[in-house]
Amino acid sequence: MPRAEAAAVLRRAAELRATLDSQFRDETVKSIYAEAERIASRASHHVGTVRYDFDQRVDRIVTSPVFGLPLMALLLAVVFWLTVAGANVPSAMLATGFFWVEDQAATLFTNIGAPWWVTGFIWHGVFRGLAWVVSVMLPPMAIFFPLFTMLEDLGYLPRVAFNLDFLFKRAGAHGKQALTMAMGFGCNAAGIISTRVIDSPRERLVAILTNNFVPCNGRFPTLILLATIFVGPLVPSAFESLAAAGAVVGVVIIGVIFTLAVSWGLSRTVLKGEASAFTLELPPYRRPGILRILYTSLIDRTLFVLWRAALTAAPAGAVIWLLGNITVGDLSLARHIANSLNPLGHAIGLDGVILLAYIIAIPANEIVVPTLLMVYMGTGMMDEGSSLEQIRELLVNTHGWTLLTAVNLMLFSLLHNPCATTIITMYKETLSLKWTVVGTLLPLGLAFLVTFLVASIW
Amino acid sequence: MDRLLTIAIVGVAALVLTLAWAWMGRRRAAQGRRRLEDALKHLFELEYRGRQASLASLTGALGVRDRVALNLVARMQTQGLLIASASEFKLTSEGERLALQVIRAHRLLERYFADEARLPLPQVHAAAERGEHHLSPEAADRLSASLGHPAVDPHGDPIPTREGFVPPAAGTPATAWPLDRLARVIHLEDEPPISYAQLVAEGIVVGQTIRIIDSSPERLVLTDGENEFRLAPAVAANIFLDAAPDTPARVGAVRLAELATGQAAQVLGLDEQCRGYSRRRLMDLGFTEGATIRAALNTFAGDPRAYEIRGTLVALRRDQASQVLVLPLERAS
Repeated sequence: MPRAEAAAVLRRAAELRATLDSQFRDETVKSIYAEAERIASRASHHVGTVRYDFDQRVDRIVTSPVFGLPLMALLLAVVFWLTVAGANVPSAMLATGFFWVEDQAATLFTNIGAPWWVTGFIWHGVFRGLAWVVSVMLPPMAIFFPLFTMLEDLGYLPRVAFNLDFLFKRAGAHGKQALTMAMGFGCNAAGIISTRVIDSPRERLVAILTNNFVPCNGRFPTLILLATIFVGPLVPSAFESLAAAGAVVGVVIIGVIFTLAVSWGLSRTVLKGEASAFTLELPPYRRPGILRILYTSLIDRTLFVLWRAALTAAPAGAVIWLLGNITVGDLSLARHIANSLNPLGHAIGLDGVILLAYIIAIPANEIVVPTLLMVYMGTGMMDEGSSLEQIRELLVNTHGWTLLTAVNLMLFSLLHNPCATTIITMYKETLSLKWTVVGTLLPLGLAFLVTFLVASIW
Repeated sequence: MDRLLTIAIVGVAALVLTLAWAWMGRRRAAQGRRRLEDALKHLFELEYRGRQASLASLTGALGVRDRVALNLVARMQTQGLLIASASEFKLTSEGERLALQVIRAHRLLERYFADEARLPLPQVHAAAERGEHHLSPEAADRLSASLGHPAVDPHGDPIPTREGFVPPAAGTPATAWPLDRLARVIHLEDEPPISYAQLVAEGIVVGQTIRIIDSSPERLVLTDGENEFRLAPAVAANIFLDAAPDTPARVGAVRLAELATGQAAQVLGLDEQCRGYSRRRLMDLGFTEGATIRAALNTFAGDPRAYEIRGTLVALRRDQASQVLVLPLERAS
């Protein structure tokens, strides 16, 4: 089209635009809906409302002002209880199996005349790291993820967001932050990506900065293990797994409280502003597809996490083996580092080894406990028997852990800095070095502060 | 060795000073441009409202000393933007063009901050005040297109077109409006911020229909049918009114947030105040005229609630639900 003509058309369009009624957009949408309704009513017809009524009845209970919140806590507790109670035995079996393989393989290597450091590096370093990760993490994940995926598939999570919205509103945050937190249970990096559903930039940043206060599945094994070993035995044995599950739920609730408190603080200070528009669709309940649940939870989540853990655990195992076997003076390198971290560790109710474990575990939170145990054990071998009982003995008798250590470690695990993947994701999503640094150091500072306070008050 | 060190230190110091000087120079240049644009804007707005600009009004609007304002006037004159005679300032056509560019950027940004970024209204002006100097005319055109070519900013001021056309000032200040005649608020002056903040806090919004029921030198009493607003005349003068259109009042209409739980209603439409993203979102979800809606679920705190519309459940916070006007239906027992 010649340029002059195009200009004339544009001018005419601008003129006509000025004469448009301000309601013309509303009219457009209205006519689209009217047409859609016409087509839908011609193409389909309704037979009864049984399913619909059922949905309504369920909704009235699940989101009820009285039962909604307690029911939510109860569901969470049941999920964790099933995880804790169900994971003990397979964990022990896997551990026994793996360490038998390690023993046999190490003996074989020694017999065929391999140098001691090859045996040590491969079997007591790399393989042991992998074995720990798999036996400690696989069973709880294989139970937790399918259960959680089922709740997701049912359509329960939007109801959680609906129930909790009043809290987020008061914190000056977006109601969909509850959804991104639910994603964070799976993985904080995924949770941070999912904040894209929040369209107000301010509230999205709040959601990104606080996502870390939801324990991701890399941290759940740590929490579950500590709860099982330390909180469980406080009560009669019949209620052990119940108490452990309760402790994990407690940690999650503390995490939610921190999320809200930090969101509130951010909305009042550096990210000032009011809560913005919020619309949330509550989809109908769906019958969960068992096969799909198993597939997504076992392949997409469990194996994905395990694979990531294994990828970092293998080199970490090697690093730990090196740190544990290179001696300077009469102490290993690991001990030297741990000793220098000890004063800081003791101040917050932990010790140097735990802090060392957290430093090594920056790439992935999954390997904190394995790292810890490997540093504690040095190059020693595990005996046979129940692995959980042994871990407990090792920690309590040999390394002087108390209930305070366990509680503070759980708190530290909940609050400390996000893993490397999450930090990188945070940068990619905000494209701001400043907010990435805040998102990393704010939780870390908070973790030190809270554990320090708990240790002082204890 | 010592000499080398001295030379290095002097060199570094000289470099730092040069950089600092260059940086300060750039800052000063940017500040000068900002002031010039603000001055043009001020002069244009007074002219537009038919008032007389003076050196005093200029120093007041920009918050600068007389000397600075005098320099600014001199600069505008040498650049051919302003003709200053003994008694009055008058913008040249070039000055007017530049002023309209800045005003266009400002009002488009206000529209954007209010509708899309959803900043609280009292903050919108300040945010646009910062952004207007960095928005090129081309960027302003793109912004205008992406907002759907809005005609007015959130305070009711017309947004100049790209060609620099701006409709003549409309509206009568509330202080000059006759008693008991129905009027529509078409513009809220956002300067000075303190009285604008008071108007926002009182709940007076553009598009609202009001009536003045009492007027005295101490105060003006306005009503929107439900609430009464008592305002000092100086504040009320910032409300600009026009004759209310004769739309039949919707009898029995209530806001969705006030619908009793379990009650069904018919959607009448969305409030004028609901704009931009929030409006699009509600329309997309099917909150259109004629749709049947039912307040279905209540939560622990009573906010949000879930509403059933077009066969789906949608949760809305109270503020959203207040922007939907509905007509309650007879309860089917």
